[in-house]
Amino acid sequence: MRLSTAPAASAALSREVAVAGIGESDYREDFDASRGRAPDRRPPTAAELMTVAFERALADAGLARDQVDGLVWCTDPQVTDAPALLGISPPYRAQGASILPLGMAAGRDVIPTAAGALAEGRCATLAVLYTTTPRTTRKQFGGVTYTGGGRNSYYYYHPWGWSSQAAHWALMFTYYAQLYGVTEADLGRVAVSLRAAATRNPRAIMRQPLTIEEYLDSPYVVRPLRRLDLCLPNDGAVCLILRRTQDARTGPRPPVLLAGWGDAEVSERKLHHLVKDQLATVMRAAGDAALAMAGLGLGDIGHFQGYDAATCHLVGQLEGYGFAKPGTGLREWAAGRFDLGGELPVNTSGGMLSEAYMHGWNFIVEAVRQLRGEAGARQVGGLAAAMMAITTTESAHPLILTRDGT
Amino acid sequence: MMTQRRPDRVLGGPHDAFWRYCEQGELRMQRCGACQHLQWPPVDAACERCASTDVRRWDRLSGRGHLVSWCVFERAYYQELPVPWDTILVELAEGPLVVANPHGFRPGPALFGARVEARFTVCADGAGEFHLPVFALVEPPAPADG
Ligand SMILES: [Zn+2]
Repeated sequence: MRLSTAPAASAALSREVAVAGIGESDYREDFDASRGRAPDRRPPTAAELMTVAFERALADAGLARDQVDGLVWCTDPQVTDAPALLGISPPYRAQGASILPLGMAAGRDVIPTAAGALAEGRCATLAVLYTTTPRTTRKQFGGVTYTGGGRNSYYYYHPWGWSSQAAHWALMFTYYAQLYGVTEADLGRVAVSLRAAATRNPRAIMRQPLTIEEYLDSPYVVRPLRRLDLCLPNDGAVCLILRRTQDARTGPRPPVLLAGWGDAEVSERKLHHLVKDQLATVMRAAGDAALAMAGLGLGDIGHFQGYDAATCHLVGQLEGYGFAKPGTGLREWAAGRFDLGGELPVNTSGGMLSEAYMHGWNFIVEAVRQLRGEAGARQVGGLAAAMMAITTTESAHPLILTRDGT
Repeated sequence: MMTQRRPDRVLGGPHDAFWRYCEQGELRMQRCGACQHLQWPPVDAACERCASTDVRRWDRLSGRGHLVSWCVFERAYYQELPVPWDTILVELAEGPLVVANPHGFRPGPALFGARVEARFTVCADGAGEFHLPVFALVEPPAPADG
């Protein structure tokens, strides 16, 4: 079964549903095992990853598996019978069409759909489960074997030798760099800063400190972008337990509320939106919808996580969602505004560049930890509202989470 | 002149028409009869902007434009192509942005905004020989004009 049409951003759904439990696989240990660096540990299978995330999320929520009456799962590659694998038989079940928590296209957004199912009473305790195993399946993100997407996908440019997601960001950043006079060293500050954030996160895969000299000496993938500008595929799983907010309040942990979301997608002139507009129009439209649904302004957001599959794409999101003026993101970054202790800490877990490439699912987990006050050495003080954004090269899907009572 | 081997094109329907015009040395795109929008890449049935099905007219473009962006592949994604491999983004005078290759120059900051014009280079893929649009600098090389 595919997800039915997800509810659009609607103030009626704001704060009705909360995250009651979170669970993740062991990103770092499993990554080391997959590279043969952990002799006493073998890389887990997709089923084992799912199981460990699910059981940890249940324990975190203080619930037993037979209390789960809803399951939405999104896996790559696809798993058809996740409930049987987990040993549960929830009456409400749906398989996500996209592996992103906030979808690739209208009507496929996993988190809004799950929130709608709870709000409508179709289930009371919903597990949302994500698993990816690109290392095991050796998935390639470019070249002739990659044929994902439609007419507007990059498959069209094969005869010119232009391919890969990385090439999108490279075209975006070349234009941006020429327009605003920024350098590759300016951009490297983002990779260095996210690595520094990861050193405060024991779960992060990439924890060895990185200097700007090491960044500049590292190899290119698609000039002007280096390996260190791009996230690293890894295997892993994330599970969230969602409940109606009043139910989540009875749990052992403070509930974190789903306060607002938005959705906007480029439908024509993809290269124009991507490069000349830097996706600003779609980000602003989706961001404004999310803020309106949550009843908040940009200034209320105290923590931001942007889809950092590439360093420059994260800077573009800070500008596109309105946290920095166009062309100023890197300057503000250098001034410390987006570091821990700055005005708006960004990707505090190390993000997908340094923590784990979990397609943004780990952003939800990090936002929950921050809003509960459980983020340890990387805790943002006095936080009431956090925004995270799934932003592809053609669409924008922000989500705002809030502490209960705010 | 040696025919360059390239990765396979997308073929069928309107794509065949595009490559047929290239073979005649013409850069053409479908123009919507309802909203005048130029479609790139080609559309099968309807305008990408207004959904009108009146997209059968192929307008000949000037082939002129300017250099908007570029990237250089240092990692090989295709066995047919060497690295480093230069790709450019050109904004055509008529509006559309197209991904292509530079012809006779290497892109760099000094050429941001430089004026370029289309050339057709003989290539071959799995479906046979074809004429690929690439872009050369308009002589003399123009300084950056934004
Ligand atoms: Zn039209």
